[in-house]
Order: sequence, then C-alpha cells, then structure tokens
Amino acid sequence: MTDAGTTAVADGTLKGGGAPPSRAPSNALRSPWTAVIALAILFVAAFPVVSDDLYYQNMFILSMVFAIGAVGLNIITGYAGYISLGQGAFIGLGAYTVGICVTDIGGSPWVWVPVAGLVAGALAALLGVVAMRARGHAFVILTIAFLFLVQLLATNWDGLTNGTGGITLPIPTWSAEYQYWPFYYALFALLAVSLLASWWIRRNKFGMGLIAIREDEDKAATVGVSTPTYKILAFAASAVFVGMAGGVYGYYISFIDPLGMFNILLSVQIILSLLLGGRATLWGPVLGAFAIEWLNETSNNEFGGGNARLLIFGGLLALVVLFLPQGIIPTAKRWIESWRTRGQTGLAGERLTDIDLPDRTAPAPAAPAASARPLLEVNGLEKRFGGVRAVDGASFAVPEGSITALIGPNGSGKTTIFNLIGGTMAPQAGEVFFDGQRIDGKPPWRRAHLGLGRTFQITRLFPEMTVLENVVAPLREFHIGLLNADAVSGREARRAEELLDFVGMRKYVDVRASALSYGQQKLVELAQILMLDPKLIMLDEPAGGINPTLIERIGEMIRELNARGKTFLIVEHNMPFVLGLCNPVLVVARGQTIASGTPDEVQHDPKVLDAYLGEDFRLEEPVGA
Amino acid sequence: MTEFLQALILGLLIGGVYALLASGLTLIFGVMNVINIAHGAFLILAAFVTWSLWRAIGLDPLLAILLLTPAMFAFGWLLYNATIRPIRKAPPAASVLLTFGVALFLEGIMGVIWGNTSHSVRPSYANDSFNIGELFLPKAQVYGGLVAIVVLASLYLVLTRSWLGRAIRASAVNPQGAELVGVNVASVAALTFAIGVASAGAGGAIASVLYPFLPGSHYQWIARLLGIIVLGGMGSLPGAVIGALCLGVAELMTVTYIGPEWATGVPYAFVFIVLLLRPQGILGTRLRQDVATA
Repeated sequence: MTDAGTTAVADGTLKGGGAPPSRAPSNALRSPWTAVIALAILFVAAFPVVSDDLYYQNMFILSMVFAIGAVGLNIITGYAGYISLGQGAFIGLGAYTVGICVTDIGGSPWVWVPVAGLVAGALAALLGVVAMRARGHAFVILTIAFLFLVQLLATNWDGLTNGTGGITLPIPTWSAEYQYWPFYYALFALLAVSLLASWWIRRNKFGMGLIAIREDEDKAATVGVSTPTYKILAFAASAVFVGMAGGVYGYYISFIDPLGMFNILLSVQIILSLLLGGRATLWGPVLGAFAIEWLNETSNNEFGGGNARLLIFGGLLALVVLFLPQGIIPTAKRWIESWRTRGQTGLAGERLTDIDLPDRTAPAPAAPAASARPLLEVNGLEKRFGGVRAVDGASFAVPEGSITALIGPNGSGKTTIFNLIGGTMAPQAGEVFFDGQRIDGKPPWRRAHLGLGRTFQITRLFPEMTVLENVVAPLREFHIGLLNADAVSGREARRAEELLDFVGMRKYVDVRASALSYGQQKLVELAQILMLDPKLIMLDEPAGGINPTLIERIGEMIRELNARGKTFLIVEHNMPFVLGLCNPVLVVARGQTIASGTPDEVQHDPKVLDAYLGEDFRLEEPVGA
Repeated sequence: MTEFLQALILGLLIGGVYALLASGLTLIFGVMNVINIAHGAFLILAAFVTWSLWRAIGLDPLLAILLLTPAMFAFGWLLYNATIRPIRKAPPAASVLLTFGVALFLEGIMGVIWGNTSHSVRPSYANDSFNIGELFLPKAQVYGGLVAIVVLASLYLVLTRSWLGRAIRASAVNPQGAELVGVNVASVAALTFAIGVASAGAGGAIASVLYPFLPGSHYQWIARLLGIIVLGGMGSLPGAVIGALCLGVAELMTVTYIGPEWATGVPYAFVFIVLLLRPQGILGTRLRQDVATA
C-alpha cells in the first residue's frame, strides 16, 4: 500500500519556485492594488449619496447581495474545496425567515434580519452533518438536493409559507427622499463584515485547517484537524451572512415566493461570481459579483432576459471552467509574478549547505533502558483487503524513548501497519494502545492530539499552501477557541519558524510546498508533525528517494529529537541507516512480526536473513556509527 | 389492494424508464468520474426532438428512438471532445461545473427554439389502457417501460459482450492499466460519454410520452436521476437499475398515499437518507474519496 499524495519529485529537480513574495505588511499597503481597492470601496460607499440614479442603486444592491453570497461560498468552496450548487437556497431561507416572522409575529423586518442569519447558519450546519460522510461528488449532489428540497417545502407547506401565493412584506416607512439607502447601507455593512470574516479565517487556525482539508482531507486528519467539526462550522459560516443578506433582499423586493427565491439561477450567479473573480481570494468574489450582476442586468435589458440569461450564464460558466479556471485575480497575480521574477533562479533549486544546519553534536544511539515502558503497544492487529491479509496478527511494542525500526520486505504490511496505528485505516481485529490509552477506533485527529505524529512514504504536504502555512496547519488539541488563534503571525508562526529553522528550511517559509524538491518536502513534513509536539514520531521511509547528505542530516535530526525525549518508529529499507540509528529493530514479513532485538541480533537472525536481508547480507559500515 | 398493486406495477414500469436514463449517468460517472449534470438537459432535448418529429411527420415517439439514439450518440461524442476532453485531468469539480454550464446553455437553446411552455407527445394510444381485472394500465406506460427494458438489455449486451464493453470496464477499474494494455482511455471515455448521451436520447423519447415537459424540466429530471444513482451506488449499473425501480415505486406510492405534490421530493429524500446512513449506496463499493474511518 502506498499513499497517494503529492507527486513525487526526484531529489534536486527544479520545479518552478520563484523568489518568496515579501511578507512585510507595510509593503502590501504601498502596493497600487490597495489604492485601487480603497477607491472602489469609496465609490460604492458614496454612490447613493452623490448620485440619485435608482437604476445603478438597484444594481449595486443586487451586486452586494450576490457578493455576500459569493464571499460566504468562498469559505466552503474556495478554502475548504467543497463545491455547492445550491448556495442560493440561503438567500431564499433568509428572505422567508424575515417574511414569515413579520407576517406571523410582527415588528419591523430589520429586527428579523439577524434571525434570518441564524436560521440559515443552523440549516447549513445541519447540511454539514449530513455531508460529514460525503465527499466530492456526493456533496455536490447533496447541495442540489437541498436547494430543490427547500423549494418544494416552500411550495407545499402552505400553512407556513402561503405556498405559491407567496408573502408580501410591508412597504418601507422611511421618507422617499432616502430612496433605497437603508437597504443599500445594510448590505454594505454586511458585505464589509463578511469580508472581514473571510480575511480573518484566511489567517487563523480555522482557515488553515479548511485549506488543509481542500488540499488533502485524509492527511489533514492525521495532523490533528477534526475534519467533520471544521466542515460543519465552515458550512454554517458560509451561510450566516448570506442568510441575513437574503432577509434584506426579501424586504427590498417586498415579495417572496418559492420560484423567485429558490431559483437555481441565484445559485448560478453566486458560484459564477466566485469562479470568475477567483476562488480562495479575498476580493475575487466581490469583483465577480459586481461583474456578473452587470452582465445579468445587461442581458435582461438588451436581450429580454429569460433564455438570454441562461445562454449567457451557462456559456460563461463553461468558458470560465475551460479557459479561466483560476479566475481573474489569481490569473492576474500569476502574470504579474512571472513578469516580476523573470530570469531569476528558483530558491528551491539552491544547494543545501551546512550553514543551514544549527550546530549540534550527535550522541551515540542509546539503547532504551530495560525498564522503559512501552509507549505504543500493538496486539494481534489484522487488516484484510478482500482476501489478502496485509496485516495478519502483528504484535509489537515501542519502548518509550527509543528509536525503533520496523523493517521487512516490500508488501510485508509495514505501511498498512502505519495506517492502522495512525487511524487512516481501520483494522478488522486487534488492539492499539498508545501512552496507556486504547486508540484503535479513535479518529486520526484524536490520535494526533494524544501525541502521535506520522509522515508518509510519499510526502503529503498541502501543495498549494506555503511552507509556513503547512507547518502551522497542525492542531495539538481541539477546542473552539483555538480556531480563532492567529496562525500566520504571532505565537504559532514563531513556533513554526523555529521548527523550520531546526530542519534547515527557514529560508523557504513563503515558498509554495509544491515548488519544493522531494527532499525539501520531507524536511518540511518533519517540521509539520513536530508542530504537533508528538510523543511518538512515526516516519515512513525517511531516507527513501533523497541524496546521501540529506539522509545523514535526517539521521542527525532524529538523534537530536530523540535526545530531547521523542520516541521514534521508523519504517526504512536503507539498512546502514536503520542499523546505525535504531534500537530495537522489529522485522515484519507477511503481515506478522517475525523478529525483534538489537540491530546486531536481528542481522544475524536466520529467520530475518531468510525472509528479508538475504543469506549474503553483510553490513559494511553503518552510517554515523 | 388494487390501488397498491396498480401503484406497484406502474412504479416498476416507470422505473424501467428511469433505469435506462440512470444507466447512462452512472456509466459516465463510473468510467470518467464525471457527474454529468447535463444528463437531464440531454433527455429533455431528445424529448423536444421527438415532439417535433411527431408534430411534423407523425412519427411514433417509440420509433423515434431509432433515429434519436444514433443522433444523440454523435452529439455526445462531439460535445465530449469539445468540452470535457480538455479538462480530463482537472480536479473533478471542474467537470461538474462545466456540465452544469452546458445544462443551462441547452435549457436556453431549447427555450429559444421551442419556447418555455409545457409540451407533451400524444400518440394514438396515449389515452388507451389495458384493463386486467380491476387494474388499469395506460398503454403508453406499458409500451414505454417495455421498450426501455429492451434498450437497456442491448446496452448490457454491448457492455458485457463486446471489445468496447471490456475496454470501458477496464478503463473504469484502472485507467492506467487499461492504457498499458493498449486501450486508448481518452477515446474510450468519449465513446462512453456518447453511449451515455445516446441512452438519454432513447430515454428522453420514451419520457416525452409519459410526462409533459418544458426546457426547465431538466432540473427535476437530473435530481431524480442523481437520487437514483446515489441510492444504487454511484458507478454501479445494477445499482442504477435497483435504485430506479425503487424510485419508480416510491414515487407512485407517494402519489397514491401521500399526495402528488410531494412526489418530486422523493429523490431528494433518497439523497439525504442514503448519505446519512450508507454513503456508498446499495451496491456501490465505497468510493476511494470516502472517509476512511467512517
């Protein structure tokens, strides 16, 4: 079993790269974009006051409704990578909440707008619960079903919604002199708040976890990200503001019916705004929403709407997917970046020099004290794939404070054992105890919180995240307050930088993980799991596919971490590396542990020579011994 | 009892038509990992063409299948090569959005050509029915169901007995492996997509007699077909048949015992219940994307 993950790149291969963008905030403020954005904000903010053109006021109001929808959708689609084709349902749910409350309870519609947000958020969270076990396509289907289901309920539940007759809201009571101002500025404020939330999520632990889910959901779980909780919260967060905007929108158009409010074209307009502007960007959804609403008005006025709108939206959706999959803002950024860095060599291609390494002495590999308690204990573990017994009753223990090796021929079940211990697979039988607790049956993130960190045979960094973001993504524990913690600056970022310093990758903090060479990815992945502050570090082939200098360096790091109290379990084929570093050594063959002991005992054990090392095995010179 | 038996038989007959339509959708998913959101639009397009042929030359809708199947096959093949082929390696979300765009575009085109009013095809036997004892079975439903079963059976023969069928199944199970043993996976994908669209063509011709339709009907159809393949297990052909029969019967039972206005909700209920209780559906093997610990 190999773990599908990022593309393996042979060590030393140049892959794109580019100089890291400057992280100084003062620099960002000076950029011309900031001026453009500030001017645009001022223009939209001042528009109703300086112009009394109701046509454009109406267009801006609708643009802001869709912008709020798209900024919300960005949280689940842009950050967490889940496509929703039914996001427009929350506009309708918000509008209906306000309409029903005003009709049945009374009061001003404004009073009910926050309630609309709560209702939308709660229903979205419920959808998140259903979606907990659904990924990719199943999730898309769920969102379509959700939209049509609420439309059906709004149509048939006469008692609550007045069915197809719809709900008429009271006419605004303010002086006509103020035109649509209250609607306009309410939506302006909502848009501002949702943008602020989007900006903050992109920087905090919650956002890092969501992006990690988008990049590699199973891997995210192994670094402590409680994926179901994240998804449910993300769905709720994506719907709250658009639900409130829907409430304002319902009041604004003053008539709410199932066909208009749950029209799938509202969802199309939201998703098109996000795609066109650029997923996972802050301003992309806003830019897209204003552009698409302008297109919408144009198609209504010039071509009579209806079919023309379908042709334009449908055609544009297909064209964007085919020719502008990144959206406007990321594509523009990429062009500017490639223009700015033309002719420069990528940082990723630089030779690793010893200067990167902090000075450290390598203590001799110490055998664990005989009295050491087992940190990890595995009893009778079994895993079958169809009829194949990949792991067939493996039992062993890893003494606390040791560097334990797990060796054996290819296909003997080593990586499967790792997956069973880490929780990415569930065993059919057997028990796993970690630090005195039984952990089989616990989800991967719980195991990570208990202090279990693992790397993958083929590195699985989150490719589109920077090195720093990769390292701050892990969570040592989980409570709601933690999600709010700043991730890319402050305490977490400092800790991540220290760890990157330790593995010698400090220089690369702002490089995208996919631009790193394979060996560099291994180092970053090590820093990533060190962020968990694990008691046990499980490394799957740390020396595989990388050059000898780096192998030696990784060996030194393992020794140093071990000297600081970390226990290791290492799967590795490089025998000089294993025998010079590890004690005890466990040998597995055909899914069972066939031997264990000191390196010396194991390499002379006839069973091991027969099953794995071969009769003619001679170890010439253990590395670092 | 008669009421129940009648709903059961009609449900199974309509389920046969659903099975044909859902087979194309699940086949495309199984081979290409593409959820073809435009499948409903393809079948409505076929229904409109059937309507035009019936209006212009009086062609029987069930005979129109003979023309529509090859025509929709060609249409599907061209569409695949023009739109989906370029994004074959893109993340799966791209194809969902693309086919969604195609569906909207087709809806607009149909609106321009045929208008946004309800259409239905009424051949001579449309108002006749077979009366067996107290059972009352409309001829259109019976013929439609039987023809659907014949087309579905021939689709099965193609998939199990021909080289193309083996190539399609090989590509579904292991694209890289199929490539290595000489299967041009991209071409096979194009043919699979074309077969899927062709089955929507045949199914659309039958559906044109059974339900009134307008361009916007495709949403309801795609929801129904997605409900079926989620229930049956995405990518599984036998699953699609089982899911389709279940949906057909469940819809008719809802119409009979709860109220016709709730019948459209049945597929949505399927989606929610299945994803909560058994995300892999009845026959689906757990998708590789699925949560490992779930």
